[in-house]
Amino acid sequence: MIALPSIAFGGFSGSAKGVTARQVGGRSILSVRSWPTGQTTTAQVVRRASMSKITKSYKTLTAEQMRAWENLAQHCSGASVFGQKAELSGINLYVRLNANRVMAGEAIVADAPLGQVAVPNVEYSTVSVTPQLIVFAGIKHESSPYKLVVKMSGSQSAGISNGWSKTVIISSEVEDDWGEADVTKLYLKTIGVEPTPGQKVFIEAYWLDTSTGFTGQVFKDSVIVTGESSYTPRKRVTMDRLLPDHEQHVSSIDVDFSSGAPVVQYDVMCEGHSNVASSEAYLEQDLPEELRGTSWALGRGNGEDGKIVAQSYVMWLYGAYYSTPARITFAHRGGYYVKPTEVFGPGIIY
Amino acid sequence: MNFNSTGNNFGAGTISFKSHQEENFVVLNAKFTYNPESPEYQAADVLEIYVPDLSIDRSAIAGVFLRFRDVRDSYGYTWDNSGGTVLKSWVKDKNTLCIEKLTNFDEKGEITIYVLALYTMLARGGNPIKGTQTRLQTTSENNYLRWGYDSFFVEFEHWVFLHMMYSGCTYAYRDSAWECSLDNLPSGITADVPFCGGGNQYNPSVDGMSEAHIENGVLTCQTRTAGFDDTGHEPFIFAFLVRDVEE
Repeated sequence: MIALPSIAFGGFSGSAKGVTARQVGGRSILSVRSWPTGQTTTAQVVRRASMSKITKSYKTLTAEQMRAWENLAQHCSGASVFGQKAELSGINLYVRLNANRVMAGEAIVADAPLGQVAVPNVEYSTVSVTPQLIVFAGIKHESSPYKLVVKMSGSQSAGISNGWSKTVIISSEVEDDWGEADVTKLYLKTIGVEPTPGQKVFIEAYWLDTSTGFTGQVFKDSVIVTGESSYTPRKRVTMDRLLPDHEQHVSSIDVDFSSGAPVVQYDVMCEGHSNVASSEAYLEQDLPEELRGTSWALGRGNGEDGKIVAQSYVMWLYGAYYSTPARITFAHRGGYYVKPTEVFGPGIIY
Repeated sequence: MNFNSTGNNFGAGTISFKSHQEENFVVLNAKFTYNPESPEYQAADVLEIYVPDLSIDRSAIAGVFLRFRDVRDSYGYTWDNSGGTVLKSWVKDKNTLCIEKLTNFDEKGEITIYVLALYTMLARGGNPIKGTQTRLQTTSENNYLRWGYDSFFVEFEHWVFLHMMYSGCTYAYRDSAWECSLDNLPSGITADVPFCGGGNQYNPSVDGMSEAHIENGVLTCQTRTAGFDDTGHEPFIFAFLVRDVEE
């Protein structure tokens, strides 16, 4: 049947030349068939497949479970483009919430949540986008089960004021690291090209409650790409900041100097070397004067023989000296020495 | 500030804490026991202690001590193979202190936990604040108890970091109750502290762990574990200690 679909003629339904009119809950809904504008990404294929799987799984629910979804759907409203509250059906809600859960790596749930859940709004202080670094900072942390969903666009002309329709999901499970979220790799993997200085990138972000699938309000932002980042990441020593071609005696390292308290925070796997009860990590960059000193932290054996001996460790934080690069020495002191040992926790510094 | 826990998920009863709390870190001191056979403990994945509002709403990982008792009698001789290790601990939110659950020693019966830890936040926009190390001066009768070079404290107004390394004991005193004056230790410190180290023949995955007590500038230690003087298992004390001073 060919009809003239127009909201001026309520009651019409059918499709004509890519436009479909239908009646839902007394409202006329017009939809224009959309065509993909770019290459289909792997993530899109996976998501479409999961949607299909979720939709099919609805049929396996018991009548009672379906009733629970219908009841909850009556209390939830869908997005409307007509300024009129849209009604959701039980299966709509089931698919919507479970699609969110699956996107976040959770399993499909058959039972409807007990009620609608209030999800916090995204708050962050800055976002810095450069070709080399894309980082959100000052994120107001939300604990599990919340995960941050970040959508970003490729570089758009700086003159575009509304480009949020160009955003795609960069990640559905961003976890901030003490307020910082470096999404550079995720962006490059999804968008495929570095952002271009002088152009604009559009951003959408929201919290996803992974236990229920409910999401918070979408926070919209845009930022002009700059050549260099004005953002200074916190002072840390991590594996990627060790001298690449130098012998290292740690298999993992995270030494964090950002406490603002009288301690340095350690999370280091010391492998030891030779017959000396210590491990050394050589740093790519010098340690500034204010971070040099002596520090003490606890260790726990992590040996293949099952030894989990408590130990104390002294750390010497050295700056570069002539041809010797800056380094941190982890020297065993108290307890039985075990290779490897995990040195962790706060270490007093003086 | 002293406070009591409001609950926990492992059947331990009320836990009393001493604390010093700042905007970006807290120092907590507590000692408590739990029964590994309790159904609450067995159901828990992580040990959670519920507390009144802390000044921080989460922390990085810190270390607390676990100690089990393993005392055996052999031909009239008491053979103390008590031991322990370090567990990871963190502030999950303002009202929840978490401790890693380690089941390795559940068959030993009652477990003692010593919280002598500093819990810090990160990304606070500042460098660490350097303290001042002071070498610990000690006195014992005829100098029978000796301490290593790495025995020192770092003093702050409301708390102290203490590290002590045992060096040796005159043979005649080896089985006595030890008493040693910590001459220049800052005032206001009273705590039971685990004395880690010494070999542990029957529990080789860990060292021995004895208990010492500090009060009024005096360290006492009634008994030590059997392998306390074993070479290569240097006994030590590591503690962030809250001072009993007016906040």
